[in-house]
Amino acid sequence: MIARIGRRDQSAFSALYDRLSGPLYSLAMKMLGDPSEAQDALQDVFLQIWSRATTYDPEQSSVFSWTVLLTRSRVIDRLRARGRRSRVVVASTEETPTGAPDASIVESAADTAEKNDEVARVRNVLTNLPSEQREAIELAFFEHLSHHEIAARLGQPLGTVKARIRRGLLKLRQRLNKL
Amino acid sequence: MISDEQQDQAALYALGLLDADEDAAFESELRANAELHDLVRELREAAGGLALTSPPLLPPASLKQRIMGEIALETKGVVPMPTRRASFGWIPWAIAAALAVFCGLLAVDRVRLERQLAQIRAADPLMQTTFYTLAPSAPAPADAKATVAWQPGRQSGVIRISNLPAPQSGKDYQLWAVDAEHKDPISAGVVRVDNDGVAQIRFKPVEKAEHVKAFAISLEREGGVPKKEGPILLVGTT
Repeated sequence: MIARIGRRDQSAFSALYDRLSGPLYSLAMKMLGDPSEAQDALQDVFLQIWSRATTYDPEQSSVFSWTVLLTRSRVIDRLRARGRRSRVVVASTEETPTGAPDASIVESAADTAEKNDEVARVRNVLTNLPSEQREAIELAFFEHLSHHEIAARLGQPLGTVKARIRRGLLKLRQRLNKL
Repeated sequence: MISDEQQDQAALYALGLLDADEDAAFESELRANAELHDLVRELREAAGGLALTSPPLLPPASLKQRIMGEIALETKGVVPMPTRRASFGWIPWAIAAALAVFCGLLAVDRVRLERQLAQIRAADPLMQTTFYTLAPSAPAPADAKATVAWQPGRQSGVIRISNLPAPQSGKDYQLWAVDAEHKDPISAGVVRVDNDGVAQIRFKPVEKAEHVKAFAISLEREGGVPKKEGPILLVGTT
């Protein structure tokens, strides 16, 4: 599908959007907490997929992981810009966060997701990680804290935090491989 | 055999937590160690799976329309020139015909024609878009370039940059709209290129820009500045 997108196939792009926009939007919303910004980030990501499809390397990652990393990277750019806007310069043009997303959208998406057994199993694996490992990984992944910042936040030595992240991710890998 | 320390680094790398120097050092280690490379790939997959723990949401349907519209716009914008020239071969004939019709229809209501023209413009996104080609000026590399597709009605645009190397540490590129009604250029945000010197970014200027004469990219302090300070690297008009 990515190869077809690289050849400018809009129908392949449309199909990829239908498959991935839900999880990627959910990720952007979890990290940004603002529907308007999450939609802008998702738009940037899909335009990037469209323009950079030929650079996708299956040796490096699956399509899903590639798009997750793209999304996370764009969201982090926005979080950094948001931080800069608040502390530096430009008169803020940022819209006030619009609060909780529309309940019907949440429910509809939840229904769709729960019908998907594979997604449910993956979620189960992730939620059953030891809590200290899961916490360290979540702070790194969703809040983009560095290992130094995580150590400070949790009041743990840096080595402990690195080990928790490593063990947690290795466990995730191991359990996901079994699925 | 992969040491615990290498596994630590691999996990931090997969989560994007290494700083630039550590990143570069680890990548050179990766190139020389196939086993480590495989581990990173698997850890990256595991990290990607974390996205699935987010509460499931769906974006509004209008977002897909927006994105597909931008893609269609871009596709239209990259039609090769020979085809475009060939397709305009009918223009002289069309003009002649239009003049003949015009002469024969002196009574046609001008207001009605203008209304029709406005409807056509409103229906075709390409008609609402102005393209700006940005050329390099020293100290930018001679092959650096950028194109801006600007929609004044929406006050938003897309910039595509190529062959512009990433700035040195502590610096960022910033996009500016030069508007006839503003004394100073209006910031349209920081733009970041990837390792290949490429970027495609959607932007909105921080102030309303209704009469944009040009777009420019300058080199500024990291995070951008409210008023242009650094040297212009790329600039261009329609």
